[in-house]
Amino acid sequence: MALDIVKLGFSLAGILIMLLLPPYLDGIARRVKARLQYRRGPPLMQTWYDLQKLFALPSVRPTKSALFTWAPYIALASAISAALLLPYGNVVPVDFGFNLVVFFYVILMVSVALMFAGLSVQNAFSHLGSAREMQIVLTVEPLIAVLYGVLAYNAGSLNIADIIANLHATPSVILTYILLAYALYVESGFVPFDIAEAEQEVIGGPLTEYSGRLLGVFYYAIHIKRFTLLWFFVSLLTLPWLGPIGTPGRAALALALQFILTVSFYPVIAALEATNARLRIDQVVKMNTRAFFAGIIILAMAFMGW
Amino acid sequence: MVGTKDLEAHFEFECKACEDGRCSKADVESILAERKGLKDFYEAFKEHIRECKRMTYGQYMFVIDREVLPEAVLWWHNHPKFKETHMSTAVGTDERPLNGHFAYMPFLNVQVEPFKMDENYWVFLKVYTPADDPSFPSVAAKLPAALWIEREVKDLLGFKPVGHPDPRRLILPEDFPDGVYPLRKDMDYRHSPITEPRTEYRETPEGTTLVPMGPVHAGVEEPAHFRLFVKGEKIVDVDYRGFYSHRGIEKTGEGRLTYNQVLFLAERICGICGYQHSVSYAMAVERLADVEIPDRARYIRTLLLELERIHNHLLWVGIAAHLVGYDTGFMHAWRIREPVMWLVERLTGNRKQYGMNIVGGVRRDLLDYRKEEVLKVVKEIREGTKKFLDIALNTNTFIKRAEGVGILPYKVAKAYSVLGPTARASGRKIDARLDQATKTAMAYHEVDFKVPVYKEGDVLARVLVRMDELFESLWIVEQLIDQMPDGDIFTPIGNLPEYQEALGFTEAHRGEVVHYVMTGEKNKVYRWKVRAPTYNNLPAVPEMLKGYHVADAPIIIASIDPCYSCTERVQFVDVETGKVKVLTEAEFNELSIKYKGVF
Amino acid sequence: MAEAPSHSEKLKSWDRMKVEGFSKKAPVTTPYPFTDIEKPPEFRGIPHINPEKCIGCGACVQACPPDALIMEWDKEHGVKRLTYNAARCIRCARCIEVCPTGAMEPTTRFEIATDNKEDLVEVVEHKLAYCEECGEYLDFTERQIEYVRNILPKEIFDAYALEDRIKLTQEEKMRRTVVKLRELESNVYPAFMLVEKGKEKKGGEE
Repeated sequence: MALDIVKLGFSLAGILIMLLLPPYLDGIARRVKARLQYRRGPPLMQTWYDLQKLFALPSVRPTKSALFTWAPYIALASAISAALLLPYGNVVPVDFGFNLVVFFYVILMVSVALMFAGLSVQNAFSHLGSAREMQIVLTVEPLIAVLYGVLAYNAGSLNIADIIANLHATPSVILTYILLAYALYVESGFVPFDIAEAEQEVIGGPLTEYSGRLLGVFYYAIHIKRFTLLWFFVSLLTLPWLGPIGTPGRAALALALQFILTVSFYPVIAALEATNARLRIDQVVKMNTRAFFAGIIILAMAFMGW
Repeated sequence: MVGTKDLEAHFEFECKACEDGRCSKADVESILAERKGLKDFYEAFKEHIRECKRMTYGQYMFVIDREVLPEAVLWWHNHPKFKETHMSTAVGTDERPLNGHFAYMPFLNVQVEPFKMDENYWVFLKVYTPADDPSFPSVAAKLPAALWIEREVKDLLGFKPVGHPDPRRLILPEDFPDGVYPLRKDMDYRHSPITEPRTEYRETPEGTTLVPMGPVHAGVEEPAHFRLFVKGEKIVDVDYRGFYSHRGIEKTGEGRLTYNQVLFLAERICGICGYQHSVSYAMAVERLADVEIPDRARYIRTLLLELERIHNHLLWVGIAAHLVGYDTGFMHAWRIREPVMWLVERLTGNRKQYGMNIVGGVRRDLLDYRKEEVLKVVKEIREGTKKFLDIALNTNTFIKRAEGVGILPYKVAKAYSVLGPTARASGRKIDARLDQATKTAMAYHEVDFKVPVYKEGDVLARVLVRMDELFESLWIVEQLIDQMPDGDIFTPIGNLPEYQEALGFTEAHRGEVVHYVMTGEKNKVYRWKVRAPTYNNLPAVPEMLKGYHVADAPIIIASIDPCYSCTERVQFVDVETGKVKVLTEAEFNELSIKYKGVF
Repeated sequence: MAEAPSHSEKLKSWDRMKVEGFSKKAPVTTPYPFTDIEKPPEFRGIPHINPEKCIGCGACVQACPPDALIMEWDKEHGVKRLTYNAARCIRCARCIEVCPTGAMEPTTRFEIATDNKEDLVEVVEHKLAYCEECGEYLDFTERQIEYVRNILPKEIFDAYALEDRIKLTQEEKMRRTVVKLRELESNVYPAFMLVEKGKEKKGGEE
């Protein structure tokens, strides 16, 4: 039972991190961007304050469609369940057979919810945003699937914990990491890939018609999704190479490492965001297609055992 | 030389002294010989010219029959030798109290040789229409540059451009009652809006969806309504409905205000190029009063105009960066711009709305120790901008969004009379600073600078034109400080001559600003027409948008540096919308009399 | 536009970086409105009427483009009211330029946001001069008359005649002129003209 308590403890820590950290990460990003722009920037808590304000406000519903009301909650639930599939230290809160596949789908659900939310209202900008989201998803998800395939083939498993335990360094895995960084960045929707929600072009895209609490929930879901993708990447980057993690002490160390890397990667992302303009959808589609073919080559390399 | 005052015989519709279109009071032959091309025009339209005269230095007026108006405008516009000649705009006037007729007057910026201000000139083609039939053949059917202005005079004065391809409302709101024409002198202020507004949007073409950009949109800073008809993300066609920020400025200027008060109203037409409007207006009044202003005043005006250009170009490049999601560029451009605002605040007393002008000169002198400060700021800006451009133009994503987007070919630019940097990016060699005689109010002919011209016509070219211009402006400022003459800063004007017309113009950072002023009695303004450069540039935007992505729309629209409040100055004050004090003409007069009677 | 040397020195030494706490290095922004901000001495803020110097001539009212300054007469109570409304003011400072006594004073104040519009209004009331002859108030204020007395060169004007007539209404002045003329030229002007003129004057505006 002692082990279970440790597991419970790590799971709780993971859940706390996953729920509380994402808005702070956004706060860090805002501060970093502000400094790059020679501004003072808001306090770290600012994203929390924003969410707090939005949660307290009622939403205006432009349509009777239930989808419109439920989409933010579906997105939030998907983002949270995706985060639960990831390892915190050596503990995966929800651990079962093919959870990499589930992770893939559950993360996708956030985008799908956003897309359907946009399509549930009669608004040209929402529709445009949804169409853009769809185009991005359709081009980047095959790439991600291929990359997951490389990892799964390399480790011989479709379970995230198993993959982490059994991954061994080959050229194909290293290339996969590079491409995965790109793919996850695109999926997170940071500038220059924030095309679906572009403020100046389609005034928020699928979020155009949202307000108040529902908008807050959507934002929260998007922050958690971004955090989840980053945490996933950081886990892949660190945990396989730490050696066997048996004791709770080492696990705590691993968790700390994950945490520190996540927090320190965010400013890098913010800097990338701050120094780029937004791309156009056709440009992104072209880039994603190229990356997809590169992914196929890597997959072939992996099959050949490199 | 024939003085302006010698060339009277104004406002007699049928100039009785004129036989065969020759005015006996003025020596037509000598007027026609002053500039190239005038004589040819006179020969070509001899039977239809009723009167010809010189309004002031470099501004010529022909009173012609209304039947030949399109031919006459096109004769100038398509002149084989004067390539960059364009129809600037037109002005409609209710001259019924004077001579029982309406007057419609397109005017052209005739460019004999680009950048030679003593050879180029303005041509005004005035047609009189009877009061009961204010119609004239439409120029717009053949020349898109006249599209808007003819819709405007139709709205505001009730003129009828016969054969206009798009006779919808342009300026008046949808709920404005029919048959009420705000700029007519007998206009009654008591009309209230009709209950059911009629929208006159163009039908959505088959197979396209409508994306309404505006009236309020994050990518457009002011209210403007672009209706994009798209297939997927591609823009097929565009409809524009604007004039939401329309304030009745021209009408206000014609009512109660004296000519010096109008100056401050003129400055408030635009929050960005206010000083350009102020100088243009002051220049128009100075031209028609025929006064020379002191050299020092001319230099100070030029200095401020160039400082305004510098900070506005930086402002624009910031907004362009913001619209493609490059917020760091936006913030830094505005950071670099701030010292200019501070400098101007110290030179004039305000960051914007300098309030420096008065008809006849300027109000504050440039104290000597401030010269150092100007030079210091110029140096700072030059370094900062260089660094900024280094980074911005090496940002791959920024260039990707600007290059090859929103291309405006030279021919389209000329047909729409596109102005300023937008035109220069499409290869048009125009710049009102040098093209026309700005020497009476500004000092551009005494400094040395280049006018950058690019051929590509895309958004990137417009960025580069503006940035090159910015560096030229810095160089102009340095020269002005160096050459600043001593002396007075103000010439008193006294009373204005009655019923004289003249044009004032400057090259704002968006293109040529034109103020047409016709004086009335007692130092009031009878007709004041403002044409901001966006008025000519905006109709060309639909042409730029076609074939590009919805995502490009904000940056393409912004690439002409649109200013809606300048463009839409004229709206009539609504009786129902309380806030603004609305008075009948009689009440207006009563009030002004009341305040006059103090002495 | 000469300025006093001390003011000029003040202008020269004023440094925004020091006063407003701006810096060239990041961050370049200041936490305004949580800090105070001082505008340079050249800044054209909202003007302020100095009631001690104001004579109620209304030159500012004539010059003001947006009607921020308004003048009203209350002949019943013998009051001329000059109202300045900062909410309408465009800060062009024309009133400061035209004021003959320097009563319109420039300030560098620019933060005029308020939840009570009354705060933005300045009212100066002047006592109108009283014509003892006809028992009516004049169009001019007492201070205007005082000012005129001071600026008129004593050598040129007939001081007694001035004293006699300066406090009379227009009608009374005319009446006196007619009476005088009548005395001089023995009834050249018939009496009905006097009555007519008086009526006309009352009804119409100047």
